[in-house]
Amino acid sequence: MGTISFIKYYISLFMAYCKFLFTFVIYKFADYPNEIKFAAFVSALCIMIIIVMQISILWMSWLQKRKRRLRERIEKKFGKGMEYIVSSEASEIMSEKEIQKVFELDDEDLEGPLLKTNREKRMFVEVFYLYFISKRSELSHTENTHTMLYMFNIPEYLEKEVSLGSMKHKVNALSYMRTLKLSISPWVINKLLNSRYMRVKRLAMYSNIMSSSDSALDYFETDFFDNNCCIKDEIELGFSLQRRRKMGLKLPNLARWAHIQNNEKTQCMFVRLMRRFNEIEYCGQLKDLYNQTKKKKLIEEISRTWGYLHYVECEDLLIEALLTQPDDTKVAIMHAMTRLATGKSMNALLDGFKNTTNPHVRYEALRCIYNYGPEGRAMFEELEKNASDADKKFFSFFHNPITLEKIRLDKEQAYHPSVETVFNG
Amino acid sequence: MWLTIYYIFCYLVFAYTILLIVGYVWLVFMSRLAQKQLDINLPDDDTIKYLMQGSPLTPAVSIIAPAYNEEVTIIDSVNSIMQIDYPDYEIIIVNDESTDRTMELLIEEYKLVEVPYDIAMRVQSKPIKRVLKSTDERYSKLIVVDKVHGGRKADGSNAGINVCSNKYFVCTDVDCIIEPMALYRMMWFVINSHKPMIGVGATMLMSNGCIVEDGKVAEAHVPNTIIPMFQQLEYLRSFLISKLGWSRINALPNISGGFGLFDTDVAVKSGGYDPMSMAEDVDMLLRMVTYMKNSGQDFQLALVPKVCCWTEGPGSLKQLVRQRTRWARGLFEIVSNHRKLFFNPHYGPIGALTLPYLFLFEFIAPLFEIVGFLFMIWLTLTGGVNWSAAFIIFGMIYIFSVFISFFVLYFDYKLKAVNWKHTKSSYLKLMIATLLEPFIYHPIITYCSNVGYWRFIANTTAVWTPIQRKGVKKR
Repeated sequence: MGTISFIKYYISLFMAYCKFLFTFVIYKFADYPNEIKFAAFVSALCIMIIIVMQISILWMSWLQKRKRRLRERIEKKFGKGMEYIVSSEASEIMSEKEIQKVFELDDEDLEGPLLKTNREKRMFVEVFYLYFISKRSELSHTENTHTMLYMFNIPEYLEKEVSLGSMKHKVNALSYMRTLKLSISPWVINKLLNSRYMRVKRLAMYSNIMSSSDSALDYFETDFFDNNCCIKDEIELGFSLQRRRKMGLKLPNLARWAHIQNNEKTQCMFVRLMRRFNEIEYCGQLKDLYNQTKKKKLIEEISRTWGYLHYVECEDLLIEALLTQPDDTKVAIMHAMTRLATGKSMNALLDGFKNTTNPHVRYEALRCIYNYGPEGRAMFEELEKNASDADKKFFSFFHNPITLEKIRLDKEQAYHPSVETVFNG
Repeated sequence: MWLTIYYIFCYLVFAYTILLIVGYVWLVFMSRLAQKQLDINLPDDDTIKYLMQGSPLTPAVSIIAPAYNEEVTIIDSVNSIMQIDYPDYEIIIVNDESTDRTMELLIEEYKLVEVPYDIAMRVQSKPIKRVLKSTDERYSKLIVVDKVHGGRKADGSNAGINVCSNKYFVCTDVDCIIEPMALYRMMWFVINSHKPMIGVGATMLMSNGCIVEDGKVAEAHVPNTIIPMFQQLEYLRSFLISKLGWSRINALPNISGGFGLFDTDVAVKSGGYDPMSMAEDVDMLLRMVTYMKNSGQDFQLALVPKVCCWTEGPGSLKQLVRQRTRWARGLFEIVSNHRKLFFNPHYGPIGALTLPYLFLFEFIAPLFEIVGFLFMIWLTLTGGVNWSAAFIIFGMIYIFSVFISFFVLYFDYKLKAVNWKHTKSSYLKLMIATLLEPFIYHPIITYCSNVGYWRFIANTTAVWTPIQRKGVKKR
């Protein structure tokens, strides 16, 4: 008996049982009150669902076993070759013949398709993707990865999944293509940009940013980010822009995008991206925004960006803002001044320390003075000499080797790395 | 007149039962939808790690674990927490003035020295005596806080909140075993949320019967003893059906105190944990919801069933009764302290749906059961029972409860929330527990709930007695 007729037989058996159960309930309890009829009906229904669930557990277990076996087979057959392709040994561009040799494939194997079914192709991509994201060496050449994938007809399969697959398959295939740095045809992207699923639409937009020769954010409507922005979007956007820069394409004017947004969170995102991608040429455009806005977080982000990008033209604005801004914002401004370290804002920092009663701001001001080069250090020592009893606890942080490590402004570097850190990573 | 009362009562019970069934079916349906959404939104661990590990935007997390007289397990527990894989986190162990060698052991093992500190007491807790950090680079993430004895876990957690410097904190028990990928999976939901995520919950499970290796659960077994086995089933039902279902409509009523992630700022603004509460986790979450709603802010709550936190549950009947009596008392406290939230649509789906459900089917149910039981005895004595009808209705209730538990096993299998070892025997054990639970375990829980309510009404002094731990099997 074939598998399908076997399944058909059991389905018909189950249907017959259901029919029997309901007939039994209807006739057996025909004379009983409605409450009893209801109870009997619910019981029969529950029994049937329990049986269905048990069968589906068995079915899932069989599917899993099948998947596990296929995975083992793919890993056994191609695992060694995949590992070689992502290792540092594959640093030179390899020909198709060489790759064929690595995968221990004969010419006869290449006559037909290497992976026959979609199931095999899906598993192959899954396995290779894992090798790619977990074991890939920086020295391995992306060109080899692409040659190998084309040899196995994977790009064609992924494009098919992206256009015709279910939502889950679409998202997976797009993610694989983006991570494996495969080029995505514009017609596929255009089709997805009209998808009714926001998730698919967004992934397509980010894919478009990677390779579009036009302005990278052309496809986004002005209010797109205002309505739909989360940290993941910023990560994806950063990833796409980084790839774009690596390909030698121009980045969009992020300062302009910060200007045209309404949401503070989104504006901050674009300012942060500017900082990340070292977009110093647009720093001047942020001056208007800085003067006009009353949003605290945005002022903090712009100050930080100016500090990191060493935009010294803004120092007067920062000194002015330090007098007017609330305590939370003052900390970011003082950090920016310390990073600029032109010598102009030493007195402003000292005022920042003296003119507040907030212990956090006083500590941060002291931290900035300590880090402000030799003249800052001299000022710090003078302040320490004349410190009141209440202030002495702040200075104790600068003498303990463990807390001293946190005094330097390096910790923030990890959250907002300079462009070198991003690209080396 | 008595006959009229009798009929009214009978129909009331029947209507209550129907409502309960409808409620459960709806939760099953919602949890199925949530599970479908999870299938799409939660990628595999490697992808999550690949995207988050190198990103400068991955939020930092503080892990807070209060400890009191834990000399037997403290080093293993801290080592277990240190196994967590996440790019940016700090561990805050709060020593609640232990009378044993807990603090000495920590100082010796991790080469701790006192460091200067200036901590703003943002939430109420007993004073902090000293803050210690390690001189060893390997333990640079570890902060040990030594504080004046507060007597409750909530007080220790609050001290930890005061010390923590990150936007998010995780509150856990020091003896809990956490999966290494737990933070990645929880934070994935935070970075994917379009609204401010104020809390993320995980699945709590029994570590009784599991085998632990290097601070990680190497083999997850269903407990062999009967009391923990029933609790395992109960926990699975609570997390995979009830909480997952509620999380689908952003109405999660509770993030377990054993392992939950919270937004520090919102937790501080809503006052942190209440050291006097018997259900401090539910209490804090409801205060956070109240704060967000009253200040007109939108928020998100999530449950990630694929994050498991293993904890040792009561192994004996005596301990179980003590724990559940305390929980019932806590539930009564919640109902009385947060009564303005109940049936109040201003507080969103939590006020309009979850809390009414909690009130009707979790708070009142044990009272209904006990009244029903006494009524049945009276009817039996007076010969007023229609046995065949009673048998059918009882059969329906029993089959329905078995059906819900089977659904949990089905979900567990589909979600792969727990990587059970020896799947067949584990499932067989849980299936047997499912069939026996209504007769053995459920009456005990009903009894405990009623005792807890009575103690709350009688205003007896609440004593918090920690569970006597046997420890887990180690390889």
